[in-house]
Amino acid sequence: MLALVARRLVVLLPVLFGISLLVFVLTAVSLGDPVRAAMGQRGEPAVIAQIRRDYGLDEPLWAQYTRWMGRLLHADLGRSYHQQRPVSEIVAERFPATFRLALAATAIALVLGLAAGTLAAVRHGGATDLLLMTGALLGISTPVFWLGLMLILVFAVWLGWFPVSGYGDGSWRHLVLPSLALGALHTGVIARMARASLLEVIRQDYVRAARAKGLSETVVFLKHALRNALLPVITVAGIGLADLLVGAPLTETVFAWPGLGRMLITAVGQRDLPVVMGAVLLFALVYVVGNLLVDLAYGLADPRLRT
Amino acid sequence: MKPTRALVFLALAVLAGLQALVPPADAQKRGGTYRAVLGADPPTLDPAQATDTTSSAVLRQIFDGLVELDEKMQPVASIAEKWHVSPDQRVYTFTLRRGVRFQNGREVKAGDFKYTLERAARGKKPWVVEKLAGAGEVIKGQVREIRGIRVVDDQTLELTLERPFAPFLMLMAYDAAFVVPREEAERLGPEFGSKPVGTGAFRFVSWRHDDQVVLEAFKDHFRGAPHLDRIVYRIINDDNTRFQEYRAGNLEHVDVPSGQFRAAQKDPVLSRELFVYPMLGTYSLRFTLTQPPFKDNKKLRQAVNHAIDKEAIANVILEGSVVPARGVLPPGMPGHNPELVGYPHDRQKARRLLAEAGYPDGKGLPPITLHYNTSALHKRIGELVQAQLRELGIAVQLASLDWAAYIKLVDDGGTQWHRLGWLADYPDPENFLTVLFHTRNVGPPGNSSRFSSPEVDRLFDEADRMPAGPARLAKYREAEKLIVEEAPWVFVYWYTSRLLQKPSVKGLERSAMSSAPEMHMAPMRKVWLDR
Repeated sequence: MLALVARRLVVLLPVLFGISLLVFVLTAVSLGDPVRAAMGQRGEPAVIAQIRRDYGLDEPLWAQYTRWMGRLLHADLGRSYHQQRPVSEIVAERFPATFRLALAATAIALVLGLAAGTLAAVRHGGATDLLLMTGALLGISTPVFWLGLMLILVFAVWLGWFPVSGYGDGSWRHLVLPSLALGALHTGVIARMARASLLEVIRQDYVRAARAKGLSETVVFLKHALRNALLPVITVAGIGLADLLVGAPLTETVFAWPGLGRMLITAVGQRDLPVVMGAVLLFALVYVVGNLLVDLAYGLADPRLRT
Repeated sequence: MKPTRALVFLALAVLAGLQALVPPADAQKRGGTYRAVLGADPPTLDPAQATDTTSSAVLRQIFDGLVELDEKMQPVASIAEKWHVSPDQRVYTFTLRRGVRFQNGREVKAGDFKYTLERAARGKKPWVVEKLAGAGEVIKGQVREIRGIRVVDDQTLELTLERPFAPFLMLMAYDAAFVVPREEAERLGPEFGSKPVGTGAFRFVSWRHDDQVVLEAFKDHFRGAPHLDRIVYRIINDDNTRFQEYRAGNLEHVDVPSGQFRAAQKDPVLSRELFVYPMLGTYSLRFTLTQPPFKDNKKLRQAVNHAIDKEAIANVILEGSVVPARGVLPPGMPGHNPELVGYPHDRQKARRLLAEAGYPDGKGLPPITLHYNTSALHKRIGELVQAQLRELGIAVQLASLDWAAYIKLVDDGGTQWHRLGWLADYPDPENFLTVLFHTRNVGPPGNSSRFSSPEVDRLFDEADRMPAGPARLAKYREAEKLIVEEAPWVFVYWYTSRLLQKPSVKGLERSAMSSAPEMHMAPMRKVWLDR
C-alpha cells in the first residue's frame, strides 16, 4: 500500500511539470492580452505598455515561465494580474465552497444512485426497473443549467423551502439545490453502473454457491453480490468526485456559488495567467490524489487487491 | 423610425426622474439593509484601477470627488464646496469643505487631491487627468508630478488645463478622480483595491469574491450619516437567477433578463415595478475602414445600412425595449440631433446602392465576416443581420470570440466588420464623437472603425476647446452629420435600461448613465427603505 502511494507521488512531479508547461504555452500564445482585456473598451497604448512591463509580460516566454517556476519552488504561485492578490489566497478562498458542493453532490449521487441501481437490479425487467432507469437517463441527459433553474423556481420561488442562490452563511440550506442539480448527472451514472454491475455479479458462480449453502437472500446480496459489484461504482464515484472538486462552472453560475469553476472561467476569459496556472496545478493534484484514493478504496472493497 | 418614439422614451425618463424625487427629510426612514446586486465580481475597488461599471457601482459609495454629477448629470459640489474658473477657461480653483474626513479618521486636504490625480495618471484611466497641463509626461512615465496641479493651501487646489475643455468638471466627477488617502494606498499597495478606504457615505466591510460585497454606513460622512445601515451587493452572473432572487423578495432592484421583458410588462405585479429609461449609449456594427470590402466604398456601407431593419432588431430581439438608432449621439446627450434621419430600412435603395458600389445583387462581393464578442444577444442580432443581407445577395459569416481575443483583434484592425457598443463615461458629445471618430484615437483609444476625416477632426478640435453652449454643440452636430453620411457604422439602436424596483425603495436615481442591475451612478446615500 505504501509503495503504491510513494509510486504515485513520484509520478506526480513530472505530471505537474508537463501540465504547467502545456497550460502556460497554450494560454500565453492564445490571442488576447490580459492587460488590454482589463482596460475595457478604451485602452491607452502607453498605459498598456507600461503595465505589461510591470507584470513582466514584455519578457520572452521562456523567461516568464522560468520566473514562474522559480517562484513555485518557493511555494509562491504569484499574483493575479486582475485582482492584484496572491493566487494562493484566491484559490484557498474558493476551495471550501467547491469542496462542500462536491462532497454533498457525491454523497447524494452515491446514496440515491446506489439505492436506485440496487432496486433496479433486484426488480430487473419489471416496471420499477424501467422507471428507475428512465429516471437515471433523465438525470444524465438533463442540462444542469435548466435543471438548476427549475429547482430554483419550484423549491425556492414557489415553495420557499430553500434560498434561491448564493453561499449565504454557509448553512446546509444553501447547499441543497446546487448539490441536487450537480448530483443529478452522477446519480444517473452511478445508478446505471450499480445496476449493470450487480446484474453481472449475481450471475457468477460464487453467488450461486452462496445461495446453495443456504444463506439468506439478504446476506447473499449484501455480503457477496453488492460488495463485489461496488468496484466499478467506486471508480465512477471517485473520478466523479475529482471531477466535481475542480469546480462546476455551470452549476456555480446558476446558483451564484463562489467556487473554483467560476473563478477559472473568469480567469481564462481575462487571460489571468497566474490564476489559471495556480488553478490547473491544483486540479492536477486533485485528480492524481483522487485516483490514488480510488485505488486505495479498491483494497477496502476487495481484499485481493491489497497487495 | 418614428421620431415620436424617442420623445416617448424621453417622457418616460422624465417620469422616472419624477418618481425618484425625494420626499421631505422628515418622511425619510432610517436604517435597514439594502440588498443590491452586481452582474459580475468587481475586478477592483481602487478608483485608479477600475475600468468597469460593476466596480464603479461599489466604489462610488466608498469614495467622493471634488464634484459629482446630479440626477440631471450636471456637476454639483461634493468635497469642493465651490470653485472658480478663470476667464480663459484654463484654471479651476477649488475650495474644499472643512472637516471632510477619510474613513480612517484623517481630515482631507488639498494635497490629497494632488496625490490622487497623479496616482490616477499612472492608473488604468489616465484620460481622466490628461487635460491637466503636464499630465502627458506623467502618463508616459517621464516625470512624477503634474505641473498643472498646485496646492495653494490645505483648503485650496488649483488645476490648470493645457487648453480649455468644457466638460472638465465632469472628468473630476469620474471614479479615477475620487480622493484616496495616501497613507492607506501606500501601506496596502496593490491590495488597496481589495480593502478600500475613502471619504464616502459607506465604508468597506467585507468581500467574498463571486458571492457578496458588504458596505456599512460611515456615520462621519461630511453630509451626515446615510439613511441605510448597510448595503449588501450580491454577485450573481446569471440574469435569470438574479430575476428569481428578485421575485423571491431577496433583492431591492434588478434588471429584466432578455426574453422576459414582455412577460414582465404583462405581469400585474412586475408591471408596476418596471421602469424603462433611456441610456447614453449606442449599439453599433462597425465597418473597419482600412479593410476591404468597406475600405473606400461608401456606397457599399450605405447599402448595408439601408438593408438592415433596425426596427426588427429593436422589436423582435429586444422586445421593443430599445430605440432604433439614427445616428451616433443618443437622445438625452447634449448635441443629440432629433432631425437626423440615419438609414431607414429601404431594400430598394439598398439594392440600388449595392449596384452603384460595384456589386449588383451582391455579385462579385466575397463573403463578409462579422465579428462579435461571445454573447447570446450579439449572436441573435448577427443572425438577423445575416438573414437580412442574404436577401440582397450579400453573404455574411459570423465569428465570435471571447472578450480578450476579440478586443485584441479589433484593436489591430483585423476585422472587416465588428460589433461594439458605447456607453458615455460622462454626458458630453466629446466623449462620444471625438473619442470614437477622431483620427488620433484610431485603434485602442476608441476609434475602432479607423474613421479618418480632416474636416471632422478640425470640427472636433475646435469644439473640444470651445466653452459650453449652443455654438459648441452646433460643431458636434455638424461633425455627426458628416460621419453619418460616411456610414462608418451601422447605427443599430440606442440603449435603454430595464429596471425592476420594489415599491419600498425610495430615492434611487435612474439617470441616463445608470443601468440596471448595477445602477453605478446612483448615490446610495440618497436611498432609503419605506418598510
